[in-house]
Amino acid sequence: MDNAVRDLSIVERRSAVTSTDTTSAEDEAEADGAPGVRADRRTIGGELLSVDDISLSFGGVKALSHVSFDIREGEVRAIIGPNGAGKSSMLNVINGFYHPDSGAITYKGKTRKEMRPDQAARQGIARTFQNIALFHGMSTLDNIMTGRNTKMHRNFFWQALHVGPARREELAHREKVEEIIDFLEIQAIRKTPVGRLPYGLQKRVELGRALAAEPDLLLLDEPMAGMNSEEKEDMCRFVLDVNEEFGTTIALIEHDMSVVMDISDRVLVLDYGVKIADGTPDTVRSNQHVIDAYLGVSHGEN
Amino acid sequence: MEFLTAISITPFVEIADSPVFFAEVAINGLLTGVMYSLVALGFVLIFKASGVFNFAQGIMVLFAALTLVGLMEHGLPVWLAMILTVGVMIALAFAIERLMLRHLVNQEEIILFMATIGLAFFLEGFGETLWGSNVKRLDVGIPDMPLEFGGILLSSFDLIAALIGAVMVASLAIFFQKTAIGRALRAVADDHQAALSVGIPLKTIWIIVWSVSGMVALVAGIMWGAKSGVQFSLSLIALKALPVLILGGFTSVPGAIIGGLIIGVGEKIAEVYWGPAVGGAIENWFAYMLALVFLLFRPQGLFGERIIERV
Repeated sequence: MDNAVRDLSIVERRSAVTSTDTTSAEDEAEADGAPGVRADRRTIGGELLSVDDISLSFGGVKALSHVSFDIREGEVRAIIGPNGAGKSSMLNVINGFYHPDSGAITYKGKTRKEMRPDQAARQGIARTFQNIALFHGMSTLDNIMTGRNTKMHRNFFWQALHVGPARREELAHREKVEEIIDFLEIQAIRKTPVGRLPYGLQKRVELGRALAAEPDLLLLDEPMAGMNSEEKEDMCRFVLDVNEEFGTTIALIEHDMSVVMDISDRVLVLDYGVKIADGTPDTVRSNQHVIDAYLGVSHGEN
Repeated sequence: MEFLTAISITPFVEIADSPVFFAEVAINGLLTGVMYSLVALGFVLIFKASGVFNFAQGIMVLFAALTLVGLMEHGLPVWLAMILTVGVMIALAFAIERLMLRHLVNQEEIILFMATIGLAFFLEGFGETLWGSNVKRLDVGIPDMPLEFGGILLSSFDLIAALIGAVMVASLAIFFQKTAIGRALRAVADDHQAALSVGIPLKTIWIIVWSVSGMVALVAGIMWGAKSGVQFSLSLIALKALPVLILGGFTSVPGAIIGGLIIGVGEKIAEVYWGPAVGGAIENWFAYMLALVFLLFRPQGLFGERIIERV
């Protein structure tokens, strides 16, 4: 029953977005209290992605059960929850590493049962990983260049010959990559093999690789984990700049609550694979379920 | 004492005595070395792109040569048989991806390695069932005449084989280092998940790599097969590629080339000059001993990517 109601509301919302102009979408967002705590010049658009009643299990372990939520164009969406809550699993479902047991994913208006990683990448979903997944033997430049992969149009034959159009294309991509390197302020390590870089910089390179794809949706899995406060500040600034300047929609998992509350428009809270809260930072902060999940409740009280 | 003289003095006296003969030995070694490089290259390609040590590479050399000979025995002209064999190797790459690799994405390297051992046994049996197990002669029409350059005696076949090998090696090196696919290949080798996340289609990459290494196997099979007949022992040449790889580094195309040359030259010289003192057959173990010494001092090989681990 609960699900049916929720489904209906999603359908309504989608039809509102597609049938009318942006103002109504904004109105609706405001009605939900969505525009967030940041007063800025961004416009939060309609629904970019929605996951609907997703369940995922590994053997007997339920990683996600009946989770539904949406991500709107241009917003910063945070996913939080205690360890093992299913946050990373959720990102993996979105970019197709995991295939859910049931449920549906709607991305850019197209509904499907599951995504495929290379498909997701080609349709504008880029991501970073909790445990940095860079190409360790390659330089910073080459790593970020791989991010351009989905933008390379010449076929394999031309690329193999490495002449004419393929060469010009490579140079154009190089330019774009240099822009990203400037943006992230990592000029000094352009030629360094990333395996040699300190942790914080590796995270930055990984963000660069994701940005190189000029994504519509950027998934960040704990972008600030293991960083000192200065590095965290830098990373926060980059995330916000990406969101504001490029208009990229961002979904991020983060443990640092002050960061989450500062930069996100809406927060989804998972606990043991179940959605326990969803809303603006303020509403989430005062939600009793969330407080219980984080502080723990004694079983006697329950 | 006599033994000491035989290994520490006599060889150098002999070298000094006849430098022309020494050059001949060295150059012959170089030419054999190119052939080793070719086989090693097949390993490097697959290792670079999928992080798998392909145990079946040697059998692929045999399989390619068997297919070529088998087709020629059916009366096909050499050029047509070669094109068809290339087709067979590409089909094989598709089959390997579809039936084997696709199911092993993100598995431990050792599991992929085990799978290639299975593949080796399968290909060996399959090849023999198709084409029979007797020794076959392979003649692709490369002339084998003795040539003389300034007193140095060389075989024209070895020379042509080395030339073909060199061209192949050079183009592959450029392909890997300079092109976008090369970068995609290296990315896949490094991290499957990350490669997928930037939209590199794993399947296509694997098919390309296995096809290319199938073709490298074919060239190696033709060269070695024409030299010593197409037979099971052809697949054992692959064992010689192991020390070459240790020397050159598993991830380096130039490394495979230089490694092959060093081992080719080294074992020939050792055999001719030091062989008599220890009763010959140095060629059989020299490469492995050299590899062992290398492992002690430079485990990543001459050109391999430095193993960097931050702790």
